[in-house]
Amino acid sequence: MTASISSSISLRGVGRAFGATRALADVDLDLEPGVIGLLGPNGAGKTTLLRLLATALPPSEGEVRVLGWVVDVPAERTEIRRRLGYLPQEVGFPRGFTAFGFVDYIALLKEWAEPTSRHAEVRRVLDQVGLADLTTRRIRAMSGGQRRRVALAQALLGSPPVLILDEPTTGVDPEQRVTLRTVLAEIARTSVVVLSTHQTEDVAALCERVVVLDRGRIRYDGAVTELVDRAAGRVWLADRPDPQATVSWRTGTGRYRNVGIQSRDGVEHVEPSLEDAYLLLRGGLPDSLPSAGAAS
Amino acid sequence: MTATLTAGPADRVGHRSTFVALAARELRRFVVNPVLLFAVVMSLWTASTDQAEVVLNVAVNPYPAIFLGGFGMVATYWLTRSMRNSEPVVGVAPIPEPVRTAALCVVAIVPLLCGCVCLFLSLRFYPIGSPVYGDFSRPTQAAILVGQMVIPTLGGPLLGVAVGRWVRFPGAAVVLFLVIFGWVNLAIWPPLTRPDSAAASALRLFSPFAYWSFADNRVDVTTWHGSPWFFLGWQLALCAIAVLVALLRGADSRIRPQVARALWVAAAVAGIMLVLANVAGATHTVSA
Repeated sequence: MTASISSSISLRGVGRAFGATRALADVDLDLEPGVIGLLGPNGAGKTTLLRLLATALPPSEGEVRVLGWVVDVPAERTEIRRRLGYLPQEVGFPRGFTAFGFVDYIALLKEWAEPTSRHAEVRRVLDQVGLADLTTRRIRAMSGGQRRRVALAQALLGSPPVLILDEPTTGVDPEQRVTLRTVLAEIARTSVVVLSTHQTEDVAALCERVVVLDRGRIRYDGAVTELVDRAAGRVWLADRPDPQATVSWRTGTGRYRNVGIQSRDGVEHVEPSLEDAYLLLRGGLPDSLPSAGAAS
Repeated sequence: MTATLTAGPADRVGHRSTFVALAARELRRFVVNPVLLFAVVMSLWTASTDQAEVVLNVAVNPYPAIFLGGFGMVATYWLTRSMRNSEPVVGVAPIPEPVRTAALCVVAIVPLLCGCVCLFLSLRFYPIGSPVYGDFSRPTQAAILVGQMVIPTLGGPLLGVAVGRWVRFPGAAVVLFLVIFGWVNLAIWPPLTRPDSAAASALRLFSPFAYWSFADNRVDVTTWHGSPWFFLGWQLALCAIAVLVALLRGADSRIRPQVARALWVAAAVAGIMLVLANVAGATHTVSA
């Protein structure tokens, strides 16, 4: 099915409450094709935001538009779902299904009624996630990482223009993570890929843009490099934890990596990572604070 | 920014053809369900052997209703619940939940066909017109047998889908089966002690399955009052209610009002049929 449609996702004043708990508040976002990373602590509202984008949940307030369609309107919601791939945080599998059987069933629900093309598509996505050799294995007999890849495969059906992934690499081995990054990077050339994860290295490797959520509100929305630059000069190595650091931890070399809002002189500065920048943001780094200078 | 995007199957033709494919898939899953297979084997076995002990007592072989209706209900309940854990994925598919529910309802055709086969097998031993069926006309005897051996094999599985859509408790279908089984067998006692009581008859007919005659032996057959034809209407209305209740789950604002309206109509028809089943037909118990 071909349609001339807006390729963006937009959220305007979006909020979502569960009883007295506000999971999201006043979220404004515009997302264009590419991989957008979603970071935030547990309970920040990441999964709620993804469920809103995936039409699994209606917003309590505001408007969510996906590819120009409003998620609240039933007919438009169906149009969105026809162009959506969604990997939830947790997917249960029915008893007795093989990897092929499960993805094939989901393909049927995605309106692939013709068996030949459907089976070809199912084989393609299973191959994409590295499960070509395990198509006939029962899902219950698979490892956690393999199950996660089965769940990811169903999201990739039809190379959807919108791909919503909630912690896709959880339990996946490093080799497969690299493969999946390649797959997602390829899809992101024409699709909007929104990726929630606690793995900052995945975001650093894949995303140009990152959105950091905290207590239901957007704490940062911008380029990954810009966020990392803010941490320049605020990360240093020392032989012991620095009391002036916001966070410090012992590294594999036995030295301590210190991350602090206030820059320090006379210490061994190192190149900051996205994780350092994220921790600084979480630790209270003001949005407007410039970087403390280049790392030494 | 605008762009021309291509997504999904090139031959997408909407819900109708997907429904057919989905119903076929659910049928394939259903026919290998061990509970259903057990029910089919037991039903065919009991229908192809002379069940004189029970038929000469209550004028029907109730085993197809028990196995295909009761066990069939448990099987469709499990089939309906089987994708519950995958709901986060299945729930955002373009095929809406009512269409998936309708596809699940289609599987009830399997026990229904088996029920028809069981009826024909049973007729070899006690053909229509046998004294065991009591003082009913031959067409009415046919209606009674359809209501006792065929319709429950449709209604039970449909009820299983409805319960599977609305109830989370994993053993709900088993409990419901036991409740219905218990109720049907309890409701037979008042007419036995007070054969001409309208209240006892109403109690007997307020059920998805009812006995119409009682034969202690081949000579003395007690025919209870009520209309088997209207009772058949009541049973079919209950089947429609089960389907509509199942379809209500996940129905959005486009179809919810229609389903709700149809449900009210079906409920009204069921009520009318039940009243007519009580007041029409034979007006008093006949012992022959």
